[in-house]
Amino acid sequence: MKVKVVKKVLDANDRIAEENRKLFDQHKIFVINLMSSPGAGKTSLVEQTIKAIKNKYKIAVIEGDIQDTYDADRIAKLKIPVVQINTGGACHIDGNMIREALPSFDLNKIDLLIVENVGNLVCPAEFKIGENIKVMLLSTPEGADKPAKYPLMFQESAALLINKMDLISYVDFDLKKARHDSLSLNKKLKIFEVSCKTAAGLEAWIAWLTQRIDEFKK
Amino acid sequence: MHELYLAESIIDIIQNYAARDGFKKVNSVSLSYGRLSCIEAKSLQFAFDVQAKGTTAEGAALEFKILPAMIHCFSCEKDLEVKMLPGDCPSCGGNEVVLTAGTEELQILELDVD
Repeated sequence: MKVKVVKKVLDANDRIAEENRKLFDQHKIFVINLMSSPGAGKTSLVEQTIKAIKNKYKIAVIEGDIQDTYDADRIAKLKIPVVQINTGGACHIDGNMIREALPSFDLNKIDLLIVENVGNLVCPAEFKIGENIKVMLLSTPEGADKPAKYPLMFQESAALLINKMDLISYVDFDLKKARHDSLSLNKKLKIFEVSCKTAAGLEAWIAWLTQRIDEFKK
Repeated sequence: MHELYLAESIIDIIQNYAARDGFKKVNSVSLSYGRLSCIEAKSLQFAFDVQAKGTTAEGAALEFKILPAMIHCFSCEKDLEVKMLPGDCPSCGGNEVVLTAGTEELQILELDVD
């Protein structure tokens, strides 16, 4: 006997993400799901972003890692509320992990929640968490073949930061190809060339992000 | 790695349907995904076999319908099937293309049950 189903396998996660979204809307919290491979500079971007706009918005951070608290310790130094999720082997953050982390925060005191996902170019793109936007980093040492190899994350992201531009003369990174292939996956993708180490190029990212947050909060 | 989580979700969905419809055994599960969605069919079957033990889904074969990756070229206006995202249009060499299909997420289409 055949039973028709036609259902997304991740349907249960999508529904939890929608509940998270409702909660964020009630509290007017703008949520970024930040994704990249390990070592591309997510935590450095979070630090730079916090330094640039912490006087304008109340910021909180959720750090996702398979284990340890190195990243959360870095953020805590900036006097920002931070919760570390240890996914215990899971390669991504899902909606339920976010739901369980939220009671650690006072949601009335957050304008911007940055969720730093587990370093991985595949799985985090599949799991909604209730974010407003997905943002991804690609660092120049990783190579320009990543959009073609991992298309979903580039399709799902609103912004791509090409990081470690300060290293571009030392690594074989085809910037033109990276930009071209990323846009072949997502015509609306906003691309920024930055160095989270030197802060070069970050003003444009901050201006874009600030505008998105302000539009949402209106 | 996501195959573990996906397998668990497939089994949850099957168990919900088993509770609703009262079937006792699942012979096969028909699924679909886009060929560029980074799903490894063999790993998924393995993760499924391990986690399905002792459930109605135990022993079920996973059957995959893999959806093609497609691009649209803005120069020749053709829609073409591709193996992976090309830099330029494989037909006319035009450099403005867009991926229009191939990253569809995993779906359960149908169960074959007794």
